[in-house]
Amino acid sequence: MSNFDINAKLNELPIDMRRRAIDRLEIARLRRSKRGIAKLMLFLALLGPGILVMIADNDAGGVITYAQSGSIFGIGFFIPLLVLMIPVAYMVQEMTVRMAAVTRRGHAEMIWRRYGSFWGAFSLADLLIANSLTLVTEFIGITFGLAVFGVPPVAAVAAGAAFITTITLTMRYHTWERASLIVAFINLIFIPLVLFAHPDWSLVASTFLTWHINGGFRPLFIYILLANLGTTIAPWMLFFQQSSEVDKGTVLEDLKSGRRDTLIGAVVMSVVAISIMVFAGTLVFNPGISANVTTAAYDLGNILSVVASKVGMLPVKLFAIGLVDAGLISAIALTASTSWAVGEAFRWPKSINLPFMEGRKFYIPGLVAVFIAAGIVLIPHLPLSFLNITVQVIASIFMPAALLFLLLLVNDKEIMGPHVNRRWENAAIIAIMIVLISMSGLYGISLVFPHILGV
Amino acid sequence: MDNKTRYGFIKDEKGWEEFLKRERIRDYSQVHVPAARMKTWTKAAFLFLRIYIIVMVALIILGFLHVL
Repeated sequence: MSNFDINAKLNELPIDMRRRAIDRLEIARLRRSKRGIAKLMLFLALLGPGILVMIADNDAGGVITYAQSGSIFGIGFFIPLLVLMIPVAYMVQEMTVRMAAVTRRGHAEMIWRRYGSFWGAFSLADLLIANSLTLVTEFIGITFGLAVFGVPPVAAVAAGAAFITTITLTMRYHTWERASLIVAFINLIFIPLVLFAHPDWSLVASTFLTWHINGGFRPLFIYILLANLGTTIAPWMLFFQQSSEVDKGTVLEDLKSGRRDTLIGAVVMSVVAISIMVFAGTLVFNPGISANVTTAAYDLGNILSVVASKVGMLPVKLFAIGLVDAGLISAIALTASTSWAVGEAFRWPKSINLPFMEGRKFYIPGLVAVFIAAGIVLIPHLPLSFLNITVQVIASIFMPAALLFLLLLVNDKEIMGPHVNRRWENAAIIAIMIVLISMSGLYGISLVFPHILGV
Repeated sequence: MDNKTRYGFIKDEKGWEEFLKRERIRDYSQVHVPAARMKTWTKAAFLFLRIYIIVMVALIILGFLHVL
Protein backbone atom coordinates (compact mmCIF):
# COMPACT_ATOMS: atom_id res chain seq x y z
CA MET A 1 0.00 0.00 0.00
CA SER A 2 1.48 3.36 -1.07
CA ASN A 3 2.07 6.07 1.53
CA PHE A 4 1.51 8.75 -1.09
CA ASP A 5 -1.05 11.27 0.20
CA ILE A 6 -2.68 13.25 -2.60
CA ASN A 7 -4.53 15.49 -0.15
CA ALA A 8 -1.23 16.62 1.38
CA LYS A 9 0.13 17.33 -2.09
CA LEU A 10 -2.95 19.31 -3.04
CA ASN A 11 -2.68 21.33 0.17
CA GLU A 12 0.87 22.35 -0.74
CA LEU A 13 -0.47 24.26 -3.77
CA PRO A 14 -1.80 27.85 -3.60
CA ILE A 15 -5.60 27.80 -3.39
CA ASP A 16 -6.31 28.76 -7.03
CA MET A 17 -3.90 26.12 -8.35
CA ARG A 18 -5.27 23.58 -5.87
CA ARG A 19 -8.81 24.09 -7.09
CA ARG A 20 -7.70 23.87 -10.70
CA ALA A 21 -5.68 20.74 -9.92
CA ILE A 22 -8.79 19.11 -8.39
CA ASP A 23 -10.80 19.95 -11.52
CA ARG A 24 -8.06 18.53 -13.72
CA LEU A 25 -7.74 15.40 -11.59
CA GLU A 26 -11.42 14.80 -12.19
CA ILE A 27 -10.94 15.26 -15.96
CA ALA A 28 -7.99 12.83 -15.87
CA ARG A 29 -10.10 10.30 -13.92
CA LEU A 30 -12.97 10.54 -16.41
CA ARG A 31 -10.54 10.16 -19.33
CA ARG A 32 -9.24 6.90 -17.87
CA SER A 33 -12.68 5.41 -17.37
CA LYS A 34 -14.15 3.17 -20.06
CA ARG A 35 -17.74 3.55 -18.83
CA GLY A 36 -20.29 5.30 -21.02
CA ILE A 37 -21.49 7.53 -18.18
CA ALA A 38 -17.89 8.68 -17.60
CA LYS A 39 -17.58 9.62 -21.28
CA LEU A 40 -20.78 11.65 -21.00
CA MET A 41 -19.52 13.31 -17.80
CA LEU A 42 -16.23 14.12 -19.54
CA PHE A 43 -18.06 15.63 -22.51
CA LEU A 44 -20.13 17.81 -20.17
CA ALA A 45 -17.15 18.75 -17.98
CA LEU A 46 -15.19 20.02 -20.97
CA LEU A 47 -18.05 22.22 -22.18
CA GLY A 48 -18.03 25.79 -20.94
CA PRO A 49 -16.16 28.81 -22.30
CA GLY A 50 -17.21 28.28 -25.94
CA ILE A 51 -20.92 28.00 -25.17
CA LEU A 52 -20.76 30.82 -22.62
CA VAL A 53 -19.02 33.27 -24.92
CA MET A 54 -21.37 32.59 -27.83
CA ILE A 55 -24.60 32.77 -25.82
CA ALA A 56 -23.36 35.84 -23.94
CA ASP A 57 -22.82 37.42 -27.35
CA ASN A 58 -26.61 37.24 -27.84
CA ASP A 59 -26.84 40.02 -25.25
CA ALA A 60 -29.66 42.47 -24.63
CA GLY A 61 -28.46 44.70 -27.48
CA GLY A 62 -28.16 41.66 -29.75
CA VAL A 63 -31.68 40.47 -28.94
CA ILE A 64 -33.06 43.91 -29.79
CA THR A 65 -31.04 44.00 -33.03
CA TYR A 66 -32.36 40.58 -34.15
CA ALA A 67 -35.95 41.54 -33.29
CA GLN A 68 -35.63 44.80 -35.23
CA SER A 69 -34.01 43.05 -38.20
CA GLY A 70 -36.87 40.55 -38.45
CA SER A 71 -39.52 43.22 -37.92
CA ILE A 72 -38.19 45.58 -40.57
CA PHE A 73 -36.78 43.22 -43.21
CA GLY A 74 -38.47 39.90 -42.52
CA ILE A 75 -36.47 36.71 -42.77
CA GLY A 76 -35.46 36.72 -46.46
CA PHE A 77 -31.87 37.90 -46.06
CA PHE A 78 -30.86 37.59 -42.43
CA ILE A 79 -31.51 33.89 -41.78
CA PRO A 80 -28.96 32.69 -44.36
CA LEU A 81 -26.60 35.42 -43.11
CA LEU A 82 -26.84 34.17 -39.53
CA VAL A 83 -26.09 30.62 -40.67
CA LEU A 84 -23.03 31.96 -42.51
CA MET A 85 -21.90 33.64 -39.31
CA ILE A 86 -21.50 30.25 -37.59
CA PRO A 87 -18.14 29.47 -39.28
CA VAL A 88 -17.06 33.10 -38.93
CA ALA A 89 -17.64 33.14 -35.16
CA TYR A 90 -16.16 29.65 -34.81
CA MET A 91 -12.95 30.40 -36.70
CA VAL A 92 -12.23 33.58 -34.78
CA GLN A 93 -12.95 32.08 -31.36
CA GLU A 94 -11.13 28.80 -32.10
CA MET A 95 -7.89 30.75 -32.31
CA THR A 96 -8.35 31.92 -28.71
CA VAL A 97 -8.89 28.31 -27.56
CA ARG A 98 -5.70 27.22 -29.33
CA MET A 99 -3.70 30.12 -27.93
CA ALA A 100 -4.96 29.46 -24.40
CA ALA A 101 -4.08 25.75 -24.65
CA VAL A 102 -0.59 26.44 -26.00
CA THR A 103 0.44 29.50 -23.97
CA ARG A 104 -1.72 29.14 -20.81
CA ARG A 105 -2.02 32.92 -20.90
CA GLY A 106 -4.92 35.32 -21.38
CA HIS A 107 -5.29 37.61 -24.40
CA ALA A 108 -4.54 40.85 -22.50
CA GLU A 109 -1.42 39.35 -20.97
CA MET A 110 -0.12 38.11 -24.31
CA ILE A 111 -0.59 41.52 -25.98
CA TRP A 112 1.04 43.31 -23.03
CA ARG A 113 4.03 41.00 -22.74
CA ARG A 114 4.66 40.37 -26.45
CA TYR A 115 4.00 43.82 -27.92
CA GLY A 116 4.79 46.14 -25.02
CA SER A 117 2.99 48.41 -22.62
CA PHE A 118 1.76 50.91 -25.26
CA TRP A 119 -0.35 48.36 -27.14
CA GLY A 120 -1.14 46.55 -23.90
CA ALA A 121 -2.47 49.71 -22.28
CA PHE A 122 -4.34 50.66 -25.47
CA SER A 123 -6.07 47.28 -25.66
CA LEU A 124 -6.85 47.24 -21.95
CA ALA A 125 -8.24 50.79 -21.86
CA ASP A 126 -10.39 50.14 -24.92
CA LEU A 127 -11.67 46.86 -23.49
CA LEU A 128 -12.48 48.37 -20.09
CA ILE A 129 -14.36 51.33 -21.56
CA ALA A 130 -16.29 49.13 -24.02
CA ASN A 131 -17.09 46.54 -21.33
CA SER A 132 -18.29 49.16 -18.85
CA LEU A 133 -20.53 50.83 -21.40
CA THR A 134 -21.84 47.51 -22.71
CA LEU A 135 -22.71 46.62 -19.10
CA VAL A 136 -24.94 49.69 -19.07
CA THR A 137 -26.85 48.34 -22.09
CA GLU A 138 -27.21 44.96 -20.30
CA PHE A 139 -28.78 46.70 -17.29
CA ILE A 140 -31.09 48.56 -19.66
CA GLY A 141 -32.21 45.16 -21.03
CA ILE A 142 -32.67 43.74 -17.52
CA THR A 143 -34.70 46.78 -16.45
CA PHE A 144 -36.85 46.68 -19.61
CA GLY A 145 -37.50 42.94 -19.27
CA LEU A 146 -38.42 43.06 -15.59
CA ALA A 147 -40.67 46.09 -16.20
CA VAL A 148 -42.96 43.72 -18.16
CA PHE A 149 -43.56 41.98 -14.81
CA GLY A 150 -44.12 45.27 -13.01
CA VAL A 151 -40.72 45.41 -11.32
CA PRO A 152 -39.63 49.03 -10.75
CA PRO A 153 -36.25 50.06 -12.27
CA VAL A 154 -34.45 50.49 -8.93
CA ALA A 155 -35.46 47.00 -7.78
CA ALA A 156 -34.57 45.51 -11.20
CA VAL A 157 -31.11 47.08 -11.24
CA ALA A 158 -30.45 46.13 -7.59
CA ALA A 159 -31.55 42.53 -8.20
CA GLY A 160 -29.42 42.29 -11.36
CA ALA A 161 -26.32 43.70 -9.64
CA ALA A 162 -26.82 41.44 -6.61
CA PHE A 163 -27.17 38.36 -8.85
CA ILE A 164 -24.02 39.13 -10.84
CA THR A 165 -22.04 39.92 -7.66
CA THR A 166 -23.18 36.70 -5.97
CA ILE A 167 -22.23 34.50 -8.94
CA THR A 168 -18.86 36.24 -9.30
CA LEU A 169 -17.82 36.30 -5.66
CA THR A 170 -19.15 33.14 -4.10
CA MET A 171 -18.06 30.45 -6.55
CA ARG A 172 -14.83 28.87 -7.67
CA TYR A 173 -14.24 28.51 -11.44
CA HIS A 174 -15.97 25.16 -11.89
CA THR A 175 -19.17 26.14 -10.06
CA TRP A 176 -19.12 29.63 -11.61
CA GLU A 177 -18.95 28.02 -15.05
CA ARG A 178 -21.76 25.55 -14.28
CA ALA A 179 -23.96 28.32 -12.80
CA SER A 180 -23.28 30.53 -15.81
CA LEU A 181 -24.15 27.65 -18.15
CA ILE A 182 -27.52 27.30 -16.38
CA VAL A 183 -28.15 31.02 -16.87
CA ALA A 184 -27.07 30.61 -20.51
CA PHE A 185 -29.43 27.64 -20.90
CA ILE A 186 -32.41 29.89 -20.06
CA ASN A 187 -31.44 31.93 -23.13
CA LEU A 188 -32.77 29.01 -25.20
CA ILE A 189 -36.28 30.20 -24.23
CA PHE A 190 -36.21 32.14 -27.51
CA ILE A 191 -36.25 28.87 -29.48
CA PRO A 192 -39.71 27.53 -28.43
CA LEU A 193 -41.00 31.12 -28.50
CA VAL A 194 -40.97 30.92 -32.27
CA LEU A 195 -43.81 28.36 -32.14
CA PHE A 196 -46.20 31.08 -30.92
CA ALA A 197 -45.70 32.85 -34.23
CA HIS A 198 -46.74 29.78 -36.30
CA PRO A 199 -44.18 30.56 -39.03
CA ASP A 200 -44.41 29.09 -42.50
CA TRP A 201 -41.42 26.70 -42.28
CA SER A 202 -41.32 26.17 -46.05
CA LEU A 203 -40.85 29.93 -46.38
CA VAL A 204 -38.07 29.84 -43.80
CA ALA A 205 -36.36 26.99 -45.68
CA SER A 206 -36.77 28.77 -49.01
CA THR A 207 -34.72 31.76 -47.79
CA PHE A 208 -31.60 29.65 -48.36
CA LEU A 209 -32.51 29.27 -52.04
CA THR A 210 -33.88 32.72 -52.74
CA TRP A 211 -31.61 34.77 -50.40
CA HIS A 212 -32.95 38.23 -51.11
CA ILE A 213 -33.55 41.53 -49.37
CA ASN A 214 -37.21 42.30 -48.69
CA GLY A 215 -37.86 45.85 -49.83
CA GLY A 216 -34.61 45.97 -51.80
CA PHE A 217 -31.19 47.42 -51.06
CA ARG A 218 -31.50 50.73 -49.23
CA PRO A 219 -29.56 52.75 -46.64
CA LEU A 220 -31.45 51.30 -43.67
CA PHE A 221 -30.55 47.80 -44.82
CA ILE A 222 -26.82 48.59 -44.64
CA TYR A 223 -27.31 49.92 -41.12
CA ILE A 224 -29.17 46.79 -39.98
CA LEU A 225 -26.66 44.51 -41.75
CA LEU A 226 -23.77 46.23 -40.00
CA ALA A 227 -25.55 45.99 -36.65
CA ASN A 228 -26.00 42.23 -37.16
CA LEU A 229 -22.34 41.72 -38.05
CA GLY A 230 -21.33 43.89 -35.09
CA THR A 231 -23.33 41.74 -32.70
CA THR A 232 -21.83 38.45 -33.94
CA ILE A 233 -18.17 39.10 -33.20
CA ALA A 234 -17.11 41.51 -30.47
CA PRO A 235 -13.67 42.29 -29.01
CA TRP A 236 -14.56 41.23 -25.46
CA MET A 237 -15.28 37.71 -26.76
CA LEU A 238 -11.61 37.17 -27.65
CA PHE A 239 -10.44 38.26 -24.20
CA PHE A 240 -13.20 36.35 -22.40
CA GLN A 241 -12.76 32.98 -24.04
CA GLN A 242 -8.97 32.92 -23.89
CA SER A 243 -8.90 33.87 -20.20
CA SER A 244 -11.75 31.50 -19.42
CA GLU A 245 -9.97 28.58 -21.12
CA VAL A 246 -6.83 29.41 -19.14
CA ASP A 247 -8.71 29.58 -15.83
CA LYS A 248 -10.52 26.34 -16.67
CA GLY A 249 -7.15 24.65 -17.18
CA THR A 250 -7.45 23.85 -20.90
CA VAL A 251 -4.29 22.18 -22.22
CA LEU A 252 -3.39 20.83 -25.66
CA GLU A 253 -5.02 17.50 -24.86
CA ASP A 254 -8.34 19.37 -24.55
CA LEU A 255 -8.04 21.21 -27.85
CA LYS A 256 -10.49 18.95 -29.65
CA SER A 257 -13.12 19.33 -26.94
CA GLY A 258 -12.47 23.08 -26.75
CA ARG A 259 -13.17 23.30 -30.48
CA ARG A 260 -16.31 21.19 -30.07
CA ASP A 261 -17.48 23.46 -27.24
CA THR A 262 -16.93 26.53 -29.44
CA LEU A 263 -18.72 24.97 -32.41
CA ILE A 264 -21.74 23.98 -30.28
CA GLY A 265 -21.79 27.53 -28.89
CA ALA A 266 -21.67 29.07 -32.38
CA VAL A 267 -24.54 26.86 -33.59
CA VAL A 268 -26.65 27.61 -30.50
CA MET A 269 -25.95 31.33 -30.85
CA SER A 270 -27.13 31.23 -34.43
CA VAL A 271 -30.24 29.14 -33.67
CA VAL A 272 -31.29 31.56 -30.91
CA ALA A 273 -30.71 34.56 -33.17
CA ILE A 274 -32.65 32.93 -36.03
CA SER A 275 -35.53 32.10 -33.65
CA ILE A 276 -35.82 35.73 -32.55
CA MET A 277 -35.70 36.84 -36.16
CA VAL A 278 -38.35 34.35 -37.33
CA PHE A 279 -40.54 35.27 -34.35
CA ALA A 280 -40.41 38.99 -35.10
CA GLY A 281 -40.32 38.49 -38.86
CA THR A 282 -43.50 36.41 -38.81
CA LEU A 283 -45.50 38.51 -36.35
CA VAL A 284 -44.31 42.07 -36.94
CA PHE A 285 -42.84 42.30 -40.46
CA ASN A 286 -45.23 43.90 -42.91
CA PRO A 287 -43.87 44.26 -46.45
CA GLY A 288 -46.60 46.75 -47.30
CA ILE A 289 -45.49 49.44 -44.86
CA SER A 290 -41.85 48.77 -44.23
CA ALA A 291 -40.37 50.53 -47.27
CA ASN A 292 -39.74 53.90 -45.62
CA VAL A 293 -39.56 53.07 -41.93
CA THR A 294 -36.76 53.93 -39.51
CA THR A 295 -35.36 51.92 -36.60
CA ALA A 296 -37.05 54.38 -34.21
CA ALA A 297 -40.46 53.19 -35.42
CA TYR A 298 -39.45 49.64 -34.52
CA ASP A 299 -38.12 49.98 -30.99
CA LEU A 300 -38.59 46.99 -28.73
CA GLY A 301 -41.65 48.46 -27.01
CA ASN A 302 -43.44 48.84 -30.33
CA ILE A 303 -42.42 45.37 -31.48
CA LEU A 304 -43.73 43.75 -28.29
CA SER A 305 -46.99 45.74 -28.54
CA VAL A 306 -47.61 44.25 -31.98
CA VAL A 307 -46.72 40.78 -30.67
CA ALA A 308 -49.12 41.19 -27.72
CA SER A 309 -51.95 42.34 -30.01
CA LYS A 310 -51.51 39.26 -32.25
CA VAL A 311 -50.67 36.39 -29.90
CA GLY A 312 -51.30 37.70 -26.38
CA MET A 313 -49.11 38.47 -23.40
CA LEU A 314 -47.58 35.02 -22.75
CA PRO A 315 -45.03 35.25 -25.61
CA VAL A 316 -44.24 38.83 -24.54
CA LYS A 317 -43.53 37.62 -21.00
CA LEU A 318 -41.35 34.77 -22.31
CA PHE A 319 -39.50 37.25 -24.52
CA ALA A 320 -39.00 39.52 -21.49
CA ILE A 321 -37.55 36.58 -19.50
CA GLY A 322 -35.18 35.92 -22.40
CA LEU A 323 -34.18 39.59 -22.50
CA VAL A 324 -33.44 39.67 -18.76
CA ASP A 325 -31.47 36.46 -19.09
CA ALA A 326 -29.52 37.82 -22.08
CA GLY A 327 -28.58 40.87 -20.00
CA LEU A 328 -27.57 38.72 -17.02
CA ILE A 329 -25.41 36.18 -18.87
CA SER A 330 -23.64 38.92 -20.81
CA ALA A 331 -23.10 40.96 -17.64
CA ILE A 332 -21.59 37.90 -15.93
CA ALA A 333 -19.23 37.36 -18.88
CA LEU A 334 -18.30 41.05 -19.18
CA THR A 335 -17.57 41.27 -15.45
CA ALA A 336 -15.26 38.25 -15.61
CA SER A 337 -13.64 39.52 -18.81
CA THR A 338 -12.87 42.88 -17.14
CA SER A 339 -11.37 41.23 -14.05
CA TRP A 340 -9.27 38.77 -16.04
CA ALA A 341 -7.90 41.48 -18.35
CA VAL A 342 -6.88 43.79 -15.47
CA GLY A 343 -5.35 40.90 -13.52
CA GLU A 344 -3.38 39.74 -16.56
CA ALA A 345 -2.15 43.22 -17.45
CA PHE A 346 -0.93 44.18 -13.97
CA ARG A 347 0.27 40.72 -12.93
CA TRP A 348 -2.36 40.65 -10.21
CA PRO A 349 -4.16 37.49 -9.13
CA LYS A 350 -6.30 36.40 -12.07
CA SER A 351 -8.50 33.48 -11.25
CA ILE A 352 -12.12 32.92 -10.32
CA ASN A 353 -10.74 30.07 -8.19
CA LEU A 354 -9.54 32.65 -5.66
CA PRO A 355 -11.67 33.47 -2.60
CA PHE A 356 -12.53 37.17 -2.38
CA MET A 357 -9.93 38.16 0.22
CA GLU A 358 -7.02 36.52 -1.63
CA GLY A 359 -8.25 37.73 -5.02
CA ARG A 360 -9.82 41.09 -4.18
CA LYS A 361 -7.58 42.93 -6.66
CA PHE A 362 -8.92 40.56 -9.32
CA TYR A 363 -12.59 40.90 -8.43
CA ILE A 364 -12.80 44.61 -7.70
CA PRO A 365 -12.34 45.99 -11.28
CA GLY A 366 -15.17 43.84 -12.66
CA LEU A 367 -17.51 44.63 -9.79
CA VAL A 368 -16.72 48.36 -9.92
CA ALA A 369 -17.75 48.28 -13.59
CA VAL A 370 -21.01 46.51 -12.61
CA PHE A 371 -21.88 49.06 -9.92
CA ILE A 372 -21.01 52.05 -12.12
CA ALA A 373 -23.17 50.62 -14.93
CA ALA A 374 -26.03 49.92 -12.48
CA GLY A 375 -25.81 53.48 -11.17
CA ILE A 376 -25.74 55.03 -14.65
CA VAL A 377 -28.94 53.21 -15.70
CA LEU A 378 -30.79 54.83 -12.80
CA ILE A 379 -29.85 58.37 -13.84
CA PRO A 380 -33.06 60.12 -14.94
CA HIS A 381 -33.27 61.26 -18.57
CA LEU A 382 -30.19 59.25 -19.50
CA PRO A 383 -29.14 59.92 -23.12
CA LEU A 384 -29.47 56.26 -24.11
CA SER A 385 -28.97 56.76 -27.84
CA PHE A 386 -25.78 58.74 -27.22
CA LEU A 387 -24.55 55.99 -24.92
CA ASN A 388 -25.36 53.34 -27.49
CA ILE A 389 -23.48 55.31 -30.16
CA THR A 390 -20.44 55.55 -27.91
CA VAL A 391 -20.47 51.80 -27.19
CA GLN A 392 -20.68 50.92 -30.87
CA VAL A 393 -18.02 53.42 -31.93
CA ILE A 394 -15.52 52.16 -29.37
CA ALA A 395 -16.25 48.57 -30.36
CA SER A 396 -15.83 49.50 -34.03
CA ILE A 397 -12.41 51.02 -33.39
CA PHE A 398 -11.27 48.20 -31.18
CA MET A 399 -12.36 45.29 -33.37
CA PRO A 400 -9.64 45.62 -36.06
CA ALA A 401 -7.00 46.09 -33.37
CA ALA A 402 -8.20 43.05 -31.43
CA LEU A 403 -8.30 40.89 -34.57
CA LEU A 404 -4.87 42.09 -35.68
CA PHE A 405 -3.33 41.20 -32.31
CA LEU A 406 -5.07 37.85 -32.46
CA LEU A 407 -3.70 37.12 -35.93
CA LEU A 408 -0.17 38.24 -34.97
CA LEU A 409 -0.16 36.16 -31.81
CA VAL A 410 -1.60 33.03 -33.35
CA ASN A 411 1.02 33.16 -36.14
CA ASP A 412 3.88 33.76 -33.71
CA LYS A 413 6.01 30.58 -33.97
CA GLU A 414 8.03 31.56 -30.90
CA ILE A 415 4.99 31.12 -28.67
CA MET A 416 2.68 28.90 -30.74
CA GLY A 417 5.26 26.47 -32.15
CA PRO A 418 3.60 24.00 -34.53
CA HIS A 419 0.14 25.31 -33.57
CA VAL A 420 0.34 28.47 -35.69
CA ASN A 421 -2.41 29.02 -38.24
CA ARG A 422 -2.24 27.05 -41.47
CA ARG A 423 -2.26 29.01 -44.74
CA TRP A 424 -5.92 28.41 -45.51
CA GLU A 425 -6.82 29.45 -41.95
CA ASN A 426 -4.89 32.69 -42.35
CA ALA A 427 -6.51 33.31 -45.74
CA ALA A 428 -9.98 32.74 -44.26
CA ILE A 429 -9.28 34.87 -41.18
CA ILE A 430 -7.80 37.71 -43.26
CA ALA A 431 -10.89 37.63 -45.50
CA ILE A 432 -13.12 37.74 -42.40
CA MET A 433 -10.96 40.55 -40.99
CA ILE A 434 -11.25 42.62 -44.16
CA VAL A 435 -15.05 42.25 -44.18
CA LEU A 436 -15.36 42.94 -40.45
CA ILE A 437 -12.93 45.87 -40.54
CA SER A 438 -14.78 47.40 -43.49
CA MET A 439 -18.16 46.78 -41.93
CA SER A 440 -17.12 47.86 -38.44
CA GLY A 441 -15.53 51.00 -39.84
CA LEU A 442 -18.59 51.74 -41.95
CA TYR A 443 -20.81 51.04 -38.95
CA GLY A 444 -18.76 53.40 -36.80
CA ILE A 445 -18.98 56.08 -39.47
CA SER A 446 -22.72 55.49 -39.87
CA LEU A 447 -23.24 55.96 -36.14
CA VAL A 448 -21.47 59.30 -35.93
CA PHE A 449 -22.69 60.47 -39.34
CA PRO A 450 -26.17 58.87 -39.49
CA HIS A 451 -27.28 60.98 -42.48
CA ILE A 452 -24.73 59.13 -44.67
CA LEU A 453 -26.87 55.99 -44.49
CA GLY A 454 -30.13 57.85 -44.14
CA VAL A 455 -31.09 56.33 -40.79
CA MET B 1 -15.21 8.27 -2.27
CA ASP B 2 -12.19 10.15 -0.84
CA ASN B 3 -9.56 11.77 -3.02
CA LYS B 4 -7.00 9.05 -2.32
CA THR B 5 -9.30 6.37 -3.75
CA ARG B 6 -10.86 8.55 -6.42
CA TYR B 7 -7.54 9.65 -7.85
CA GLY B 8 -5.70 6.42 -7.10
CA PHE B 9 -4.17 6.48 -10.58
CA ILE B 10 -1.61 8.90 -9.12
CA LYS B 11 0.38 6.46 -7.05
CA ASP B 12 3.52 8.32 -5.98
CA GLU B 13 5.52 11.54 -5.98
CA LYS B 14 6.72 10.94 -9.56
CA GLY B 15 3.15 10.44 -10.80
CA TRP B 16 2.08 13.65 -9.05
CA GLU B 17 4.91 15.68 -10.60
CA GLU B 18 4.08 14.22 -14.01
CA PHE B 19 0.44 15.20 -13.53
CA LEU B 20 1.37 18.78 -12.56
CA LYS B 21 3.70 19.02 -15.56
CA ARG B 22 1.24 17.48 -18.04
CA GLU B 23 -1.61 19.69 -16.86
CA ARG B 24 0.71 22.70 -16.60
CA ILE B 25 -0.82 23.57 -13.26
CA ARG B 26 2.17 25.68 -12.16
CA ASP B 27 2.70 27.35 -15.57
CA TYR B 28 -0.24 29.63 -14.99
CA SER B 29 1.64 32.29 -13.05
CA GLN B 30 5.26 31.37 -13.25
CA VAL B 31 6.42 30.98 -16.85
CA HIS B 32 7.97 34.11 -18.39
CA VAL B 33 6.47 35.42 -21.65
CA PRO B 34 9.25 37.08 -23.69
CA ALA B 35 8.75 40.26 -25.73
CA ALA B 36 8.22 39.67 -29.47
CA ARG B 37 11.00 40.30 -31.97
CA MET B 38 9.48 42.77 -34.40
CA LYS B 39 9.70 41.52 -37.98
CA THR B 40 9.14 43.79 -40.96
CA TRP B 41 5.58 42.67 -41.55
CA THR B 42 4.78 43.02 -37.83
CA LYS B 43 6.08 46.59 -37.92
CA ALA B 44 3.97 47.22 -41.05
CA ALA B 45 0.88 45.83 -39.29
CA PHE B 46 1.41 48.14 -36.31
CA LEU B 47 1.95 51.11 -38.62
CA PHE B 48 -1.36 50.30 -40.33
CA LEU B 49 -3.00 50.05 -36.92
CA ARG B 50 -1.68 53.43 -35.77
CA ILE B 51 -2.93 55.09 -38.99
CA TYR B 52 -6.30 53.35 -38.65
CA ILE B 53 -6.69 54.51 -35.06
CA ILE B 54 -5.77 58.10 -35.90
CA VAL B 55 -8.29 58.14 -38.78
CA MET B 56 -11.05 56.65 -36.61
CA VAL B 57 -10.40 59.00 -33.68
CA ALA B 58 -10.47 61.96 -36.10
CA LEU B 59 -13.77 60.66 -37.52
CA ILE B 60 -15.26 60.33 -34.05
CA ILE B 61 -14.22 63.86 -33.04
CA LEU B 62 -15.67 65.22 -36.28
CA GLY B 63 -18.82 63.15 -35.78
CA PHE B 64 -19.43 64.30 -32.23
CA LEU B 65 -18.74 67.91 -33.17
CA HIS B 66 -21.31 67.44 -35.93
CA VAL B 67 -23.86 65.96 -33.51
CA LEU B 68 -23.28 68.64 -30.87
